[in-house]
Amino acid sequence: MQPVGHVTATTMRLFFVRITLGALLVWVAGCSEPTIDEGVLPFIVPTSTDADGGSWKTVVLKAATDISVPQPLATTSAAYQQELADVKNGVLAATPEQNTAVNYWAYGAVLRWNQIARQLVAKYNVAPGYDYATGQTTPAESANPYAGPPYAARVYALLSAAQYDALVVAWRAKFQYNRPSLEQQGVISRAPVLDVPSYPSEDAAVAEVSCQVLAYLFPKEEAFLKAKATEHKQSRIWAGASVPSDVKAGEALAATLAPKVIDRVKADRFGAANDPTNTWQTALAKAPYDQKWTSLEIPARAPILPLAGKVKTWYDSTSIAKLVPAAPPATTSADFQKALSEVRDIATARTRDQSRIASYWDNGPNTYSLSGLWNLLTEEFIRENGQNELRAARTYSLLNRAMQDATTASWRTQYTYFVPRPSQIDPTIKTATVIPNTPSYVSDRAAVSSTAATLLSYLFPSDATKLTAQATEASLSGLYAGTHYRFDNDEGAKLGTAIGQLAVAAAKADGAK
Amino acid sequence: MIGGFMQGHRKASLAIIGSQESYSTYFINKTETKNPNLGTVTTQALTAVGTYGLGYDLDLIVAAPYIRTEASAGYFPKQEGFQDASATLRWEAYDYKLGKKLRLSWLFAVGYSMPIQNYVNDAMVAIGRGSKNWDGRTMLHLKGKSFFITGQYGYIRRGQVTLDHVVNYYDPSQLNPNSGSKVNVPDVTEIIVRGGYVNTWLNLDVWGQQQTPYTKGTDIGPGIPFPTNAVGFTRLGATAYLRLAKQFGLTAGYNTIIDGRNVGKSSQINAGLVIGHWTANN
Repeated sequence: MQPVGHVTATTMRLFFVRITLGALLVWVAGCSEPTIDEGVLPFIVPTSTDADGGSWKTVVLKAATDISVPQPLATTSAAYQQELADVKNGVLAATPEQNTAVNYWAYGAVLRWNQIARQLVAKYNVAPGYDYATGQTTPAESANPYAGPPYAARVYALLSAAQYDALVVAWRAKFQYNRPSLEQQGVISRAPVLDVPSYPSEDAAVAEVSCQVLAYLFPKEEAFLKAKATEHKQSRIWAGASVPSDVKAGEALAATLAPKVIDRVKADRFGAANDPTNTWQTALAKAPYDQKWTSLEIPARAPILPLAGKVKTWYDSTSIAKLVPAAPPATTSADFQKALSEVRDIATARTRDQSRIASYWDNGPNTYSLSGLWNLLTEEFIRENGQNELRAARTYSLLNRAMQDATTASWRTQYTYFVPRPSQIDPTIKTATVIPNTPSYVSDRAAVSSTAATLLSYLFPSDATKLTAQATEASLSGLYAGTHYRFDNDEGAKLGTAIGQLAVAAAKADGAK
Repeated sequence: MIGGFMQGHRKASLAIIGSQESYSTYFINKTETKNPNLGTVTTQALTAVGTYGLGYDLDLIVAAPYIRTEASAGYFPKQEGFQDASATLRWEAYDYKLGKKLRLSWLFAVGYSMPIQNYVNDAMVAIGRGSKNWDGRTMLHLKGKSFFITGQYGYIRRGQVTLDHVVNYYDPSQLNPNSGSKVNVPDVTEIIVRGGYVNTWLNLDVWGQQQTPYTKGTDIGPGIPFPTNAVGFTRLGATAYLRLAKQFGLTAGYNTIIDGRNVGKSSQINAGLVIGHWTANN
């Protein structure tokens, strides 16, 4: 027989376990699921005003002087004083909804429109699907025959170039007319406002040009974009950052700029990139490589945007054309066999960390693409460095044009040599990510990431070590995934670095210090 | 699957069960589909289940599966490793005698499960979804001389998981959907009805299980993280237990998914050894 005391202790313990159990049941049933949100992000307070910004070299425009901004009414005029009084009263009477909009847009005009573009790319970067039951290619709701990395890179480049040009024009007018900021006139704003002349509104310029360019690229989203732009412009009045005439002037200069950007869009040869007449088959037949690429999908499909290598470049097209690397080692060579063995060895004993790296840098179909990931990463740098709207737009404009060119140059290389993917040569090679339906050589991931890291290291020198490590990891990710040979990565990185250097040269010469 | 039979105070058992499950058809949302780039997905598992009676009315059940899964076509890599360890406390709260031969008991159970290792969770062919889960359920268990029937209702609360990449899909209901790697795994509710014949050396039962997504989730699609998919299914199964010696028995079963949502339309066979006290013949 057990001692009485022991039995009591056991009984008590069981009693408490039961109480705990009951409490847990109530807790499990009663909690509501947390939703993922971005939390409350602190505002960045830009440090520099870049007063010379109006003289910086523009991208689509020949110069900021191409668009003239009309002279504003004097601050002493009755009309202006009325606007100012209305804004002051409006700030005091702001509703919670208005405050939400103020805080949302105060995060950064360029940053927010970049996020919107990433959202839309993720939504429309959807290739038509394949229905097994009917054997037909099915147009999904958002199916887009242009889906792929070149599509995404182009959207970001066009948006960023347009935003940058709009802001250079706005900056020129700001310091030409010097209408004092509202803060200097006693308005206590609801969010940090850069202390630059208020006319014209930089936010209105970004909102309008972003809305028009994105609406051209995503016609189905016009209503959504217009609502966003209207809210954005209004939010700056609610915030106490601008008076309506500032906003109107920003909007007007952007409306003059947008058609010029759209002319650039129409003339960039991207429209033919999906190769409707299948000329790629001729190119494949003549490809100077001993084995020919085939699609590994079942059923086989035409490769992604075969003519995207012919898209008009932003930086010097002759220099970029010269960067296309020579053919990789032939499949019969010892070098090739060594490269193939390396892919096979990694694929058979892939570590968890290699899988993670492969997945992180993949950004495959139906995502905002690798260039979108670099835009996200750059957002952090822009915030950490307190870049003002003009600087942020310059960063994105330099970056996104370079990444589009790196994508274009990669495509040009891929569709010159038509090098098979490792799994085509050895079907036992299983891949951590879906095999992109493009030839293997060169790795566009390596090229785009090396371009981005080269340029960003110049713009943010204190982060250069981190950026180089990221580019190296991104370049290796295709090897870890089993979708690329090491020579794809090495040559891709070399190509990307060279294009990054073109962008660095442009950054050095654009007038910004 | 937690049953309605209590283990008995200080009685223990250990079951080692091997299973093989496969599917070639799966559901995108509720529509059946096949993918020639996937073929047939076959999953083999070896699961250890230990049960111990902490009290006459309180059991602790622990389980740990080792899993291997691979696809017959395409280039998805095989995945192999430990999945999620679980621990469950089962409490027989009330026990009524109904007449001379029937007993009705009302039970509660709370369980917790978490991945044993950091396996790949965002892939078509994966060991699991990687979430840490709480499981709360209640059961009504009616037992006669040679039959039983158990009905249970449970809520499985699945925690957030961190993906290997930034969340990237378009979701208009989220303010800024592409800025982090954490995602919710939808919670599910579960109903199980199980009944059968039981005597001292043989146990035969049939069961139906239905899991329904409770919180909002996505549907399988390219670019959409697998862990956020709303997964549900209706599964029918049968289990047999044969006692060969006082402390030793064999078990075997079959089950199949007849309807589902964002899940493989799979069938499973399993067989195993049970060492120790068999719960159904208290």
